[in-house]
Amino acid sequence: MSKRTAKSEGFYLFSRLGLIMIAAVMLGATSLIQYVYSINALKEEAALRAQSELDGARSEIMDIVNQTESSVRNSIWIAKWVLENSLDSMMRVPQRIVQDNPGVAGSTLAVVPGYMASTSLCAPYVFRSMDGKGLEWTSLATSDYDYPSKEWFVKPLELGEGYWSEPYFDEGGGNFLMTTYSMPILDSENRPAAVVTADISLSWLGSVVDGMTIYPIALNTITSRGGQTMVSAGDPPRSGEKCLVYSAQVERTGWSMSITLPEREVYAGIRKVGYMVNFLQVIGLLMLVVILQLVTKSQRKYQQLDKQRERMQGELKIASDIQMAMVPKEFPPFPERHDLDMAADIVPAKEVGGDLYDYFIRDGKLFFCIGDVSGKGIPASLVMAVTRTSFRNLSAGEESPGRIIQAMNDSLSAMNDNSMFVTFFCGVLDLESGRLRYCNAGHNPPRILSKSIQELPVLPNLPLGVMAGWDYEEQELQLYYDDALFLYTDGLTEAENLQHEQFGEMRMEKGLHGRSGAYEHLVTMENLVKDFVGEAPQSDDLTMLFIHYLGKDSGEYGPTLLLHNDIRQIPRLKGWMDYVGSEYGVGDSLLAALNLAIEEALTNVIMYAYPKGSYGCIELRVGCESRELTFTLMDSGVAFDPTAAPEADITLSVQERSIGGLGIHLVRQIMDKVSYERKDGNNILTMKKTV
Amino acid sequence: MNITIEKENNVTTAILEGRLDTLASQEVASEMEKLNQAADGTVVLDCKDLTYISSSGLRLFLSLRKAAVSKGGNIIIRNMSADIRQVFLMTGFLNLFQIEG
Repeated sequence: MSKRTAKSEGFYLFSRLGLIMIAAVMLGATSLIQYVYSINALKEEAALRAQSELDGARSEIMDIVNQTESSVRNSIWIAKWVLENSLDSMMRVPQRIVQDNPGVAGSTLAVVPGYMASTSLCAPYVFRSMDGKGLEWTSLATSDYDYPSKEWFVKPLELGEGYWSEPYFDEGGGNFLMTTYSMPILDSENRPAAVVTADISLSWLGSVVDGMTIYPIALNTITSRGGQTMVSAGDPPRSGEKCLVYSAQVERTGWSMSITLPEREVYAGIRKVGYMVNFLQVIGLLMLVVILQLVTKSQRKYQQLDKQRERMQGELKIASDIQMAMVPKEFPPFPERHDLDMAADIVPAKEVGGDLYDYFIRDGKLFFCIGDVSGKGIPASLVMAVTRTSFRNLSAGEESPGRIIQAMNDSLSAMNDNSMFVTFFCGVLDLESGRLRYCNAGHNPPRILSKSIQELPVLPNLPLGVMAGWDYEEQELQLYYDDALFLYTDGLTEAENLQHEQFGEMRMEKGLHGRSGAYEHLVTMENLVKDFVGEAPQSDDLTMLFIHYLGKDSGEYGPTLLLHNDIRQIPRLKGWMDYVGSEYGVGDSLLAALNLAIEEALTNVIMYAYPKGSYGCIELRVGCESRELTFTLMDSGVAFDPTAAPEADITLSVQERSIGGLGIHLVRQIMDKVSYERKDGNNILTMKKTV
Repeated sequence: MNITIEKENNVTTAILEGRLDTLASQEVASEMEKLNQAADGTVVLDCKDLTYISSSGLRLFLSLRKAAVSKGGNIIIRNMSADIRQVFLMTGFLNLFQIEG
């Protein structure tokens, strides 16, 4: 594992842990806040619910209390009357109370000791019989019971008002919890006369506390004034358990009600929710961990894919370089040849492609080819390599392009399992004679640049690799000095701009007008395409081959002779001068002199007008008007005026004579008039001679 | 352009045939070098079949002449045609060489 990978591995682990921790902390904080708020809300809710339960219970109790109190109170006036007027009917007071109030279990009217002269103690007690149907009575005025010492008797007299006794167990009857409400009775002189009571069973309190059911687990109790538990329902809290206690007082009775809730019960909901939330959070975190793991894994996978892609791109680049190295790239390709100026270029698309060209000279013949493999990418490039090798091999011992192509087709067809084909053009130019033999296998017809630009006539042969055994027909054309061939692949004509317009043959042919060096032609064409295409991506290889033949003269001279800046062009001047001589009837001696003058002027241009290695076109023209011959020598080289050179001194001795300066001297000597002008970037030397 | 060089005793004879134009002047550079080396003696340039000469050719002649001057040799030009003689005249070369025939 590389250092870089280890580093990024650590980084991923670290960032993953960090991410999980941040998530965990945020989840925790959220839970805490939620918990605190929920606790408070639950507390408030519990308080409200308890309060409302307590209120309900109190009003239930108060109903009974009020009924009991009013039953006693309503008996006071009659008790007073009985005490003052008819002691015999004392019993009727408690009897009435019990009779009229179903809630009252028993009642008594107990006389204050000493109030009555007849008897010191008197307290008839009326109570419901066991079956609940009738009433029974007994006297409480026994020495055993000693009612004047009882709380229910003492307290109301002491307080001077109604009093609820501490609850007690009824020993006699039902053995259930009782309480007694007692009121003092004062006589007309405001002396305490008696106490009237009503006993009520507290058994109904059980149903009251049972009805306080706000939580399943709660302890509801009612305690008396003295702290005695009158009734309770529910489960007592466990020892040491935190509880919430809500309580309320019941007026007059001195009872207090309370609801005791264990906190765990109140918060049971939130605990449940909390457990659920925590559970989900843990699940979420685990999922986060898993997701991060997966993400990291896939990231690693992508990184690997990236690396793979990089490597593949690197390999493709190498493939492209190898491919480019297979086509000759040197320029000028044949610096030693004065009869040929050629250049070739391939502008590969981003991918490796299937364009190819090749050329070489063998036995004074230029073998050249251009081709385009169908499709793109590696398959095309492989076929391209095979095609190029096949061309080299088969052209090594063969001079007929037809037979070369035929053999190539047979070998390519034989191993063509993938239906790939190659459009191909092959030519063999005899540089000595200018005879061009060529064969086209479905490739775009090259252009022949002679007096005009024309399509090279080609036969409709099949591309290579389509059908083995196809009989390829060869064609022939005679080239003369200054004729040129332009070969290209459809990457040129089908180059598209952003509007999806194609460069097309019209624009291509426009770019071929005029004559410059082969290399300059290609540069011009590439710039035209570049300008046309603009920002649009190059989708296909663009390959061009420019062959400028500078060999054999056609022998058909006219008033204009085209030459280029090569000293080996000088011998061509003789043939043209012979044409001038016969055309204008110039004698041999004069013609030789004129030839000399023009050669000197021409040599000057060839040697000095153009930078070394660049192609320069030179035009020589002759005209005649009333026996005056006018020679015009035009070139597009650097501005130079030969007429400005000083006269050579021909009288000097051998040692003093310089090597140079003779040429322009001879021009001046031979010609009648010599003038120079610079016009439109051209040097124009005009030489006149009357014949 | 063709140059045939013959050596007999102290006399080197070069027979020049054809057109000595600018290109030919470059092509015969090695033959002219041989003549330059022989310029300590007598060098005869037979121009009977020399049909044309340009300033480049004249320069070769001048170089040979200069070599002869510095080495104490002698250059003789023979059988010049009228046209060649005319060029020699125009350039003042007639005065620089010993012309015979």
